[in-house]
Amino acid sequence: MKSTSIVQVNESYVFREEFDDWALLFNPDSSETFGMNQISSFIYKHLDGANTIESIVNKLAVECSEVPPDVETVVTEFIQNLIDKGLAEVKE
Amino acid sequence: MTKVMKSPKSVDILFTSRCNLSCKYCSNSTGDIPEDLPVSEWIQFIEELGRNSVLNIGIGGGEPFIRDDLTELIESIVKNRMRYTIVSNGSLITESIASFIASTGRCDSIQISIDGSHSQPHDVFRGKGSFYGAISGLECLRKQGIAVGVRVTIHRKNVTDLDNIAQFLLDDLKLPRFSTNAASFFGECRMNSEEVQLTVADRVLAMNTLLRLSDRYSNRISASAGPLAEARRWHQMEMARQTDAVSFPGAGCLSACGGVYSLIAVRSDGIIIPCSQMTHIELGRINHSDFRETWQYHPYLERLRNRVATPLSDFQFCKGCEYIPYCRGNCPALAYTLTGEENHPSPDACLKRFLESGGSIPALLNEKEAR
Repeated sequence: MKSTSIVQVNESYVFREEFDDWALLFNPDSSETFGMNQISSFIYKHLDGANTIESIVNKLAVECSEVPPDVETVVTEFIQNLIDKGLAEVKE
Repeated sequence: MTKVMKSPKSVDILFTSRCNLSCKYCSNSTGDIPEDLPVSEWIQFIEELGRNSVLNIGIGGGEPFIRDDLTELIESIVKNRMRYTIVSNGSLITESIASFIASTGRCDSIQISIDGSHSQPHDVFRGKGSFYGAISGLECLRKQGIAVGVRVTIHRKNVTDLDNIAQFLLDDLKLPRFSTNAASFFGECRMNSEEVQLTVADRVLAMNTLLRLSDRYSNRISASAGPLAEARRWHQMEMARQTDAVSFPGAGCLSACGGVYSLIAVRSDGIIIPCSQMTHIELGRINHSDFRETWQYHPYLERLRNRVATPLSDFQFCKGCEYIPYCRGNCPALAYTLTGEENHPSPDACLKRFLESGGSIPALLNEKEAR
């Protein structure tokens, strides 16, 4: 996956924000549920089929303080993890 | 102000107030609502729930299967990415509807009421033929592999049938488990309380019997209210009182019900209510009131959520009670039907009152029961 890749969430999952920007990802067919913290929720919400990974990283850098130098690697790994679990797919 | 989720996880929808039975202890008090909303209104609302990331719909009534368009409602729930449960008397469930439910793959369980080991103790307050109707519905669901939760409501005419009921459900029908409660002072039961509700002696008998059966059947009998739940909870409270133990977490205040933090309900006429037992508190109307706004900010819901900060010691009702550090005040809906006030301890599940009325706490047979 490249920094210019565009990824879109699997819309059959329900993204449910709970407290303080924490969220649940819920598969209504299997009841499988994943918990997401504020950062992963932020990334997930930007996987809208329009943002590139690079643009998500840039927006994250604006939103958060103390962003680590390897942020792009970490974000890419996280998105790849979502794809591997069927929670998102590469659009372009 | 108590922190609240952006939307409820579950919504209980009483899609109809109609029922093919007229049980003397029906807990619903929606029978005086003349007309059900049309399917189009419900579908519009279900779409709003989907947009608000609600995860589960609890389908209730009345009897939900009395609606000819129930499949349309379920299809809408599925389309909007939710799962569902159904509460039913079972008698209108056919092979065809059971097959449809199975095909959705989204039904977590259907609760069927079976209140006797044979027709007499079941039908006595539910009407002739209702027992066989419930068993027929249950079998239709099991054939399709749908999870069925059997609920036994204990009343004055089946309290001596509990051994037979357990044998019938767990040995003969080979159900994995069943749950119990007791006829409570809601809905129709309020009119027939003297006839159907357990006396203090009945409650003691039910508690002892259910503890023994729960032990014999390796905890395949459960309860969140009623005699079995009370036996376990009251035993813990009494042990704590005798040993002067530290107070239970959250106890000493009106903290018993967490429902208002995770679910809300809707009456068959579309009126939003805090829970299906609090039909008198009208919070708004579906498709007219903003659902999320109602959930998050309605003053009445805030009042119910804040009841957890109300000390039991503030109530004259609790004055001098040694169980306060171990008591959570019990069901607010039952408190309302008995006292006219939700933010009040419920007299029905009050241990002190029960003991003063001649009740006694059974000894637990198995240490696991205490947990």
